[in-house]
Amino acid sequence: MKFRPLLLAVLLAVASAGAQAADLQSFGRGSWSKLRAAHDGQPTVVHFWGLTCAPCLVEMPEWGKLRAERPDMRLVMVAADPVPQDPARVSDMLARADLAKVENWAFVDRFNERLRYEIDPAWAGELPRTLLIDRDGKETVLTGVADLAEVRAWLDAQKKR
Amino acid sequence: MRALFAFAFFLLLAGTAAAQHQHGKPGAAGPEAFTATPAFGPDGTLWLVRAMADRIVVVRSTDLGKTFSEPVVVTPEPMNLDWGPDARARIVVDPKGGLVVTFAIFQDRNFNGRAFYSRSNDNGVTFGKPRPITADPTSQRFETAAVDPATGRVFAAWLDKRNVAKARAAGKPYPGAALAYAWEDGEAGFGPTTIALDNTCECCRLGVAFAGPGKPAIVFRNIFPGSVRDHGVVTFKDEKTPGPVRRVSADEWKIEACPHHGPSIAVLPDGSYHVAWFTAGSARKGLFYARADNGDTPFGAPRALSQPNRQPARPYLLANGTALHLVWKEFDGTKSLVRWQVSHDSGRTWSDPRTVADTADASDHPMLAANAGRAYLSWLTKADGYRLIPLEDQP
Repeated sequence: MKFRPLLLAVLLAVASAGAQAADLQSFGRGSWSKLRAAHDGQPTVVHFWGLTCAPCLVEMPEWGKLRAERPDMRLVMVAADPVPQDPARVSDMLARADLAKVENWAFVDRFNERLRYEIDPAWAGELPRTLLIDRDGKETVLTGVADLAEVRAWLDAQKKR
Repeated sequence: MRALFAFAFFLLLAGTAAAQHQHGKPGAAGPEAFTATPAFGPDGTLWLVRAMADRIVVVRSTDLGKTFSEPVVVTPEPMNLDWGPDARARIVVDPKGGLVVTFAIFQDRNFNGRAFYSRSNDNGVTFGKPRPITADPTSQRFETAAVDPATGRVFAAWLDKRNVAKARAAGKPYPGAALAYAWEDGEAGFGPTTIALDNTCECCRLGVAFAGPGKPAIVFRNIFPGSVRDHGVVTFKDEKTPGPVRRVSADEWKIEACPHHGPSIAVLPDGSYHVAWFTAGSARKGLFYARADNGDTPFGAPRALSQPNRQPARPYLLANGTALHLVWKEFDGTKSLVRWQVSHDSGRTWSDPRTVADTADASDHPMLAANAGRAYLSWLTKADGYRLIPLEDQP
């Protein structure tokens, strides 16, 4: 199944050649373990945000800039609104923050407790929230608006390992 | 026929939310409110108000929730209802059996709200056309009505953004919103709005209890200096005079956002105050309860409810005679549970927490209501419908 990443890349390229709409994946029960498995062994930044989270919307363009500055960064954005939002509006926000082309997920299950529990049982749902996951799967949690200098330092440290 | 109504009601409960449960691409459906709020009438009728996609309906049950009447629609036209996770349509019953329903809509995409009320004086057969609770059109959310048990007068409090707009026009910063209130003026509508306090947190539900005739006590997430969003209680000295803010707990939750997770309050006949709340402050994190001997003394040390890795959330307190009931929701990895404790000594000691209901899918916040000396859990769940569960009142 080695052709899969290539196929995916082609599909993504085709998708992004048209409108800037984000290719939004549904985040439901079991999605977290799939997401983790897909990035296993690779330093990955997972950023949880929400359309209903005002500080998140202010922060989003900064993530867009970081992504442009570090094109090799594995960045996964997860829209984790407690009440699932209209996907068109989620996509629109991602496009405006220049984040339509990264790996994007959105909570679609109203059983928010379950989704959060799979990610971190002690996460009460506060947004924004950033997870830095290293090669060994070790997680560093940044709660609230992230200090991007800290994220850059972390990314640099991963390269040296 | 009754059974048929009950079934139809269950379908109404399950319908729209179930349609969203799908895999693959996120559907086109927008967010929806999923709440059911109870109130018992003086004759023991259970009244339930539901937000259903784009309308508000009321149903009643004369057999403690076993069967329900056909829904009566409160909103004659579809409305863009507030679906925020801490918003809910509410219903109160005055001593004459008159019903007052309150709810809010979104006016725009920036979550500016408009709070409405509607009254029924014919035992819920018809409801008046919903009218704004206040004349100012800026923004109101988290409207909460309560009946003064001594006078029967309906009180409403909400979070109001009129002063935000004024500050902005003057080029001044204005964090949060304002705590606003009004009293029903006979049955003609709500009287003039008064701002009780500026700069409260803007998107958490309020809790209201009565400390005496004309003396509502409101608990809310306040903004203390340094953007610390901890809880405060304001008790009215009389109908027109809100008192000072009494801080419930110094949790030191410094956050430039709103947690969508508001508190609950009860006042017992001995005058004691009881508050339960959620925080993620630097001093403590999780769900907590505290009591104060009366309206002037400081609150005692917070007691933790459950553990943070069980996501304890959405507390609700109810004074039923001298019994004090407390419920909250937590998650065990598979199911959401409603946990219950009762105290018979003014909140000093409590029964061991017990699970009184559970569900394996999404659910509304647990609510409590009392009738004829008995307390009940009222809980709307996606998978198991609506449930009214009597609480076995033993310490």
